[in-house]
Amino acid sequence: MKITLRTLGCGVSAPGLPDLESLSHALAGKDPGTEMPGAAGISLLSPRERRRCPATVKLSMAAAEQACRAAGVEPDRPDAVFTSGMGDLAISDYMCRTLAETPDLLSPMRFHNSVHNAAAGYWSIGAGARGDVTALSGATDSLVTGLIEAAARVHCDRRPVLLVVYDMLADGPMRAVWQARHPFACAFLLGPAAPGSANLELSPEDGVREDDCPPLPSALAERVADNPAARALHLLALVSGHHDAPLRLAAAQGPGLRIARRT
Amino acid sequence: MEALQISAMTLACAAGKGIGALRPALAEGRSGLRANDYPGCELETWIGRVDGVEDIVLEDDLARFQCRNNQLAAIALDLDGFRESAAELLERHRPERIACVVGTSTAGISSTERAFRELDAQGAFRPEHVMPWVHTPHTSAAFVAAALGLAGPVQTVSTACSSSAKVFATAARLIETGFADAAVVGGVDSLCLSVLYGFHSLELVSPDPCRPFDRSRTGLNLGEAAGFAILERESKHALGRLLGWGETSDAHHMASPHPEGEGAITAMRQALDRAGLPPEAIGYVNCHGTATPMNDRIETAALRTVFGDPPPASSTKAWTGHTLGAAGITEAVFSLMALADGYLPASLNCSVPEPGAADFILRDGRRERVGAVMSNSFGFGGSNCTLVLGAA
Repeated sequence: MKITLRTLGCGVSAPGLPDLESLSHALAGKDPGTEMPGAAGISLLSPRERRRCPATVKLSMAAAEQACRAAGVEPDRPDAVFTSGMGDLAISDYMCRTLAETPDLLSPMRFHNSVHNAAAGYWSIGAGARGDVTALSGATDSLVTGLIEAAARVHCDRRPVLLVVYDMLADGPMRAVWQARHPFACAFLLGPAAPGSANLELSPEDGVREDDCPPLPSALAERVADNPAARALHLLALVSGHHDAPLRLAAAQGPGLRIARRT
Repeated sequence: MEALQISAMTLACAAGKGIGALRPALAEGRSGLRANDYPGCELETWIGRVDGVEDIVLEDDLARFQCRNNQLAAIALDLDGFRESAAELLERHRPERIACVVGTSTAGISSTERAFRELDAQGAFRPEHVMPWVHTPHTSAAFVAAALGLAGPVQTVSTACSSSAKVFATAARLIETGFADAAVVGGVDSLCLSVLYGFHSLELVSPDPCRPFDRSRTGLNLGEAAGFAILERESKHALGRLLGWGETSDAHHMASPHPEGEGAITAMRQALDRAGLPPEAIGYVNCHGTATPMNDRIETAALRTVFGDPPPASSTKAWTGHTLGAAGITEAVFSLMALADGYLPASLNCSVPEPGAADFILRDGRRERVGAVMSNSFGFGGSNCTLVLGAA
């Protein structure tokens, strides 16, 4: 089977990669550096909300907003799929430490922000999105999980779907199970294929256990190796026309995905 | 939409292990709630704890998944002939054509809590707690796929209390698109300090057995459950059918429902539209009914808006506690039992119903055969999911 989708817009938010322009420089070989993107690009939260919301929200929302803006689509319109292997690792750390020491002092706000769909929920509230905004996990293969779900939605509902892929770093004992040192978020607004436009053809492939993608500049390849969400850099490179050859994205369980550009 | 058949189901929760145990518990009003005895938790409340979860050992390749959530999932897989049904499914379809979609909110967090309680002198996890397949929200779907030998898409849905209702919609999309020919869907959530103290911090936990839709309700009780179902296009022995679903967002607040229940109303209407049914066709509603003052008041008003004259309805949470990420599958199974058995369960512990709900909340169980039922699940982040299920 094959599903053909159209990429209506993209966004990226990661250290040194605050937008698509910085990504295109990095794809051309420039070292992006590691400066954290500011929250100034987020228009959907008030300054107070921007200060108070979790880091996952800031990062994912910036990418999601870019993708909608690039597509010229109002952010409240599309259904959205948020996918993340580990969710908010800083809040997990806070929750588990507080429960170990002073459980009666657990913060109610941090508790309700600890749900895996916190970034999805804040997006829905900020964007005013009343359609479906779901939250998935596929551990280190959350990108593949999200692409399959987004592709299925576009196929079934015949309208655009916002896919947001993000994962953070573990800054505590969780490093033992999640080694990322840099956070990463990106977003794709995907819609039904249209003749004459650059489309993506997705097909599931059984038994793909290692990514097989055209090479990226070393600084970006390091991000891919660092954080599983940054495997989406391969897809961003394909969509931006940096390379033409198809990608094979692996999954530890279930099918991987072959993704090719079709015009 | 093309209705999907539900060809097998199983459920383990505080009220009973397996459909055969749950049927009399529902008919006789035997709740599974008990005074809180969860280890390390001093809160005065009642909980829906499943006996024997601690005793389950996951062996061989599955040892990497050892945690309370997956131990509870293993109990459910062993009930109701579910493993046999999955084995038969694998005779009809290649493993690559069977998807596995599981909802959870707690995932393996009770193990993560323990790893943090037992950090070594350097503040790191002790070696026995370094379990990457446990400390991730994806642990449950990954475990179930590995335990049953499924090789289609493996997905975890984690949208708080709507998680394991949404798995039906996700699986139906995978089947319609052609990513799979059949799916094992379900949900698992297990008791942990995070949810006990977390809901306590929000002042939503009742010190007494919960009383959904009762005027004097004082909050929810937490529970744990694991349940699974098999979805496919055709089945010789279907237990029921998935007719429709609605998935919406409140876009209002992370922890409080929209005051007029706007998202809930839209979810119910979408589910009816997708099923191609008018509201009158629904013979029973299994409500979200958490027994918090706000949820039950808003859900009552939302039901009134959608139905005008709502059908018999109840919340089954006084049997199980609020099983959060497993609430969707738990109540989908209860809804399918209502269809198959012709028995609509009572809203246990509701003696004087919420004003506005007195005419439709069931204070006693009722023998009545109905053709279609609705199940509501609403969660943090304003995530709403309604299922419409039909008789086989």
